[in-house]
Amino acid sequence: MPLIAVGVNHRTASVDVRERLSIAPARMNETLDELRGLDGITGAAVLSTCNRVEAIVSASREDVIESIVDWLTQRAGANRSELEKHVYILRHGDVLKHLFRVASGLDSMIIGEPQIAGQVRSAFIASRERGALDSLLSQVFDQTMRVAKRVRTDTGIGEHAVSVPYAAVELAKKIFGDLHGLQVLLLGAGDIGELTAEHLSAFGLEQIFVANRSYDRAIELAERFHGQAVKFEGIEPYLATCDIVIASTAAPHYVVESEHVERALATRRRRNLFLIDLSVPRNIEPAIASIDGAYLYNIDDLQQVADANRELRMQKAHEAEEIVDREVDAFRRRLVAQDAVPTIVELQGRLEDIRTHELEKCLRRMGPMTAEQRAAIEQLSTQLVNKILHYPILQLKEAEEPAERETLRKTIRKIFGLR
Amino acid sequence: MSPNLTLYAALALYAAGTIVALATLFTREKRPQHIALGMMIAGFVAHTVWIGTICVRTHHPPLTNLPEAAGFMAWAIFAIELALFIRYRVHAASFFVYPLVLMLLTVSAVVHEPFVQTPAGISRLFITHIFLTTTGVAGLLIGLAFGVLAWAQDRALKSKQRGALWDWIPSLNVCKTVSYRALAIGFSVYTLGILAGILWSYRTQAELMDLRVKQVGAMIAWVLFAIILQAYINDTYRTRRTAVIGACAFVSIVVAILGIHHV
Repeated sequence: MPLIAVGVNHRTASVDVRERLSIAPARMNETLDELRGLDGITGAAVLSTCNRVEAIVSASREDVIESIVDWLTQRAGANRSELEKHVYILRHGDVLKHLFRVASGLDSMIIGEPQIAGQVRSAFIASRERGALDSLLSQVFDQTMRVAKRVRTDTGIGEHAVSVPYAAVELAKKIFGDLHGLQVLLLGAGDIGELTAEHLSAFGLEQIFVANRSYDRAIELAERFHGQAVKFEGIEPYLATCDIVIASTAAPHYVVESEHVERALATRRRRNLFLIDLSVPRNIEPAIASIDGAYLYNIDDLQQVADANRELRMQKAHEAEEIVDREVDAFRRRLVAQDAVPTIVELQGRLEDIRTHELEKCLRRMGPMTAEQRAAIEQLSTQLVNKILHYPILQLKEAEEPAERETLRKTIRKIFGLR
Repeated sequence: MSPNLTLYAALALYAAGTIVALATLFTREKRPQHIALGMMIAGFVAHTVWIGTICVRTHHPPLTNLPEAAGFMAWAIFAIELALFIRYRVHAASFFVYPLVLMLLTVSAVVHEPFVQTPAGISRLFITHIFLTTTGVAGLLIGLAFGVLAWAQDRALKSKQRGALWDWIPSLNVCKTVSYRALAIGFSVYTLGILAGILWSYRTQAELMDLRVKQVGAMIAWVLFAIILQAYINDTYRTRRTAVIGACAFVSIVVAILGIHHV
């Protein structure tokens, strides 16, 4: 049964094409019904994210591709020749490889990003709940999620942050492990500082204190993070209680100095202090980096971490591609073998019928014989049938191309007189 | 089953596990680390069977001479490491712990010492002394291993350079906490073991202790570990001085263990 994927992604289509094709979650069921309603489609799933819109279908014949492209054209409100420039069409093993790569984050704009696995899962679950997944697509989905998990576990491709705010989060985890219950002091209202605090707050921080030259702005920001505004002049006591300090102010001088940190650490009893200086000119005195228990990273340090991580992800992507290739190969073989099972069973049944029938006739003609002689003749007939079946079954199991497999199946059925 | 068969099986599995784990220092792949852990666990099972067989055959815990004590210590170290792995998923400790376990079990396999069943040698107090000291030392060595990890993590974070261990080491807090707890618990148990040894010595030889290699090594190690523990309490563990003391404590412990055999 052909497996087909038709779609557009961030490499083949600009955002104005993708947005015309994108499907809101509320309209997913309706879309699945439309797709499933196309003649020849037996199973369907639709993956719609900001970077891609894809229809993944199993079909009884290959010419459904035309109908799918027409359907997409209609959805996009474009003319067909225009849309065809952006659409990619994948068949059979290429669909498997594509899905495995997509779910593993290898086809993403940021290699290894972890959200895509969840989006693929949601797409297939929506399809399953709508009753649009047939047995083949169901197996493909399960295997896709398994491969995505294996790629992430074996290569750790998504483990390292590739943006400055996430690099700060990654380092915070390297220092503190669990970020639950930590307190953060945000100095200033710079965008990147805010973003970093936002990422950190997703990990269950206990409290965020916000200090800004403008106290009103501090209150505003603190409300956003469900935190507490503090006066900019009175930040020193917070250095003793907070675990992470993010500085992102426009001040042209140091806001946090060595003696502040030394005094704070003296009261912290073995608790480390992570200082993130995202401002230029710098707001945290660089000498703090040499104080035991204080870890200072400025914007360049974080950028270097992010760059190194990006490079690391590219290396991991090579390992991931190898895993994907091996998994595609193994899964294709499994599907082919599975596809051949009904014919093999029927073939074995047919030859077994012939064997038992002819054996009985032969034994009747031969008259009385010992149990050993009878067993020897039975064994001979069984071995003969097995030898005859060996190559046809092997060929059926190993034919990878659907067309070749279909021809082979028809030929075998014809030769052996199967229904 | 011959006890030697399980001992050699454990040794072979530990050796294979250690080699595979050390290889991941260069490849940085996770799968071989899992394979190494699997081998070490299989070795641990064989090791446990070996210890059990000795207990059944000799009717005493395997703590009466150097090969037995080294074997038991290796077993205790791996058991603690396994428990910590289950709790914290720390792969990096394997780079220190696996070779240590392999080394101690090799001592068990290589050194031959006849078992002399004297009443004093199998008294409850003596067995308690050996059990507590070996378990305590196991805790202390694990504490040292995690201390090295905490130091390496601190250096990496300070220098902003990733070392070969970066991906394998858990957070600095986890390393520090595990190291501190293992040292604190190990030190307490070790102290009780030494006290039990002094008591046993007093009962059997009418003196608190004599100045043989194993006693001197053990006492020096006790003092050095006390200093390290103090450094942790004061948060001065990152200093070069603590690193040197840690290395000396390790050597003292090794001398004390080997001293069981020689003097």
